Amino acid sequence: MIPPMNRLTDFVSRRGAATLALWRTWRGIAVFAGHALTASLTPASYNSATRMVVMKQIYFTAWQILPGFTLFAALLSYVLIQIVVSTAARIGQSEFALEMSMRVLVLEILPLITALFIALRSSSAINTEVALMRIHNEIDALEAAGVDTLRMEFMPRIIGGVVSILALTALTSVLALILAYLALYGFQLWSLPDFSRVMGKVFTNAVMLGIWLKALAFGLAVTIIPVAEGLATPKMLFMAPISVLRGMVRLFFVLMLIEVTSLAFKYI
Amino acid sequence: MPLRANLGVLENIAIVPQYLHNLSYQDAMDLAWTLLHVTGSTDSAYKRDPQLSHEERFIAKLLRAVVDKPALLIIDRPALLLPDTHYPPFVAHLLGLLADHFTHCWILDYPWNEPLYAPR
Repeated sequence: MIPPMNRLTDFVSRRGAATLALWRTWRGIAVFAGHALTASLTPASYNSATRMVVMKQIYFTAWQILPGFTLFAALLSYVLIQIVVSTAARIGQSEFALEMSMRVLVLEILPLITALFIALRSSSAINTEVALMRIHNEIDALEAAGVDTLRMEFMPRIIGGVVSILALTALTSVLALILAYLALYGFQLWSLPDFSRVMGKVFTNAVMLGIWLKALAFGLAVTIIPVAEGLATPKMLFMAPISVLRGMVRLFFVLMLIEVTSLAFKYI
Repeated sequence: MPLRANLGVLENIAIVPQYLHNLSYQDAMDLAWTLLHVTGSTDSAYKRDPQLSHEERFIAKLLRAVVDKPALLIIDRPALLLPDTHYPPFVAHLLGLLADHFTHCWILDYPWNEPLYAPR
């Protein structure tokens, strides 16, 4: 029989150790983010090799998925616009249908869907790749050979992810605007002034700044968290899937936190 | 060290002088192409790592190692990279073609594989 005092001490010790481990992880992610952002904003980081690797990363993260993702975003946007338009008509609020669908789609759903798509497709791959590189001592080998791994391995992935999210969010948002116009006014141009007036009301300068900041935060999260998580993987092969699992869960919470913070700023 | 998975063989070789000497993309590509031409491996120039055979991958890694004309080239246990090849003559042939691109070469292998190599 363990005395109650010892059980309490054990419990407090375990919780304390877990809290400290969590704190160390998030501090590691924050420190890595600081280094990565400094390197990406330093012109000296870019030479012919870095530029080539960054361009390849953008190609594989954004360009390759463009047709499929655009088609999916178009279908989703069209269905949601139709739902909002028909619901608004049923309750006699048709004049708000356009504004409502744009607020839901362009300001909230499309940036979040884009970030989740990139997270599923690229972040999990980045987390696995970096974890395996660390387990197989490849990062140490590159550094021993004089290669700056932050500049050559991690910064291109971060820039690729950020550019992909910004570009895909912009593209799908423009597509949603076009689809909303077509759904509401049909194939004609003489309703453009009305449409522009509503858009001007929805997309104020502050709102536009908010969208870009949110997309930027999504872009940084989907790349920095997997890389930092991969770098923190213990050098044991069986830890690779655990590292990816942890990275994806943390990423999901951070994406949701960014979304909730943005909603709170806008509506509370 | 592995090849970068999102670059082709040509770019994997060219990235070394680009990174070390800030050589322009075109000049680095020309240099890499020349090396591929010397070893007769231009067919694999645009292939990425998963598409390469063991021999093509070995050549790509070898060319990446010699592109900067090192004083010492070390090949560590070639059998790990060339599991299905009678590798001593294959490696010797490649090293002969690239003799101008390094000063010394050490092949590290298990003692029981010594009879596979030509007498020194």
